Amino acid sequence: MLSQEELARYDRQIMIPEIGREGQERLKKAKVFVAGAGGLGSPASVYLAAAGIGCIRIADHDVVDPSNLNRQILHWHGDIGDPKVKSAFDKLSKFNPDIKIEIISETIDENNVDAMTDGFDAIVDAMDNFPTRYVLNKTAVKKNIPFFHGAVRGLEGRAMTIIPGKTACLRCMYHGTPPAEKSPVLGATPSIIAAIQVTEVIKYFVGMGDLLADRLLIYDGMNMTFKEFKLKKNPECDHCGKKIIAVKC
Amino acid sequence: MSIEISLHKTHRRHTDGKEIIEVEGKTVGECLKNLINKYPPLDKEIFKNGKLHSLIEVYLNGASAYPNELTKPVKDGDKISLVYMLSSG
Repeated sequence: MLSQEELARYDRQIMIPEIGREGQERLKKAKVFVAGAGGLGSPASVYLAAAGIGCIRIADHDVVDPSNLNRQILHWHGDIGDPKVKSAFDKLSKFNPDIKIEIISETIDENNVDAMTDGFDAIVDAMDNFPTRYVLNKTAVKKNIPFFHGAVRGLEGRAMTIIPGKTACLRCMYHGTPPAEKSPVLGATPSIIAAIQVTEVIKYFVGMGDLLADRLLIYDGMNMTFKEFKLKKNPECDHCGKKIIAVKC
Repeated sequence: MSIEISLHKTHRRHTDGKEIIEVEGKTVGECLKNLINKYPPLDKEIFKNGKLHSLIEVYLNGASAYPNELTKPVKDGDKISLVYMLSSG
């Protein structure tokens, strides 16, 4: 049941006919795991909190560095040196005190990912590396948790939505592992991709619109274009198909 | 018979910034070979140890060409897109 304060707070999105009070109630009951509190995780967490997602759990092992501040909008100058999840908790709990914010200051790996995601209804990919993305993808598929992928570089980004058992997973599309590197990125790029990821999360919980499933959306900020490519589930996929194998990352 | 290949930004430094290159070929593999004949430095970007580089995705007319991308037949007017994986967040 939404309180009078919540009805006032979420009025503008409750006015969206496809959301209404019922959709807002669903968002309130939703539990979303955000993997990373960096460039994608910062705006994703802000928009999830703004939308009234009832419980947001954020995991990140890192501390705030000055070079983060061009894009990681949850972290401010005074947070330099603090754990990113502490900085995220401080901002988000003040931004929306009606929702639950949980934080985990650990590196996500194959040993702890099950416990981290237990009881959660969605996983937002806000990682900066592919080994961990593959760990999350495999967990999402195994536990039947929708997975909302995003990645960026420079003025370019991409997003797709994975509904386990129904649509192509990350591994149906990606087969390599880019080397770890310090990538260039314009601050606005991850905000655009995170906003798309959160839009997808909200659509999923409310049950509205067409999800970005079996579709890869590529944003090119330099030319200001969006391209879409069709994907299909790979029956031989080593995460979601016949060839399921243990992936050591 | 003309096939359009759309190159990812990462690869355009080898084509004087050109995104779209027209080539001929009956399969995706032949088209890529002809692309490399025009722009030899693309070889090491697209292939590794004789196989398609694992960080490259190939789309044919807007749909994933995976698996066996190189053997997929193409016809006049088809469009091949080469996309490079992004990893940052």
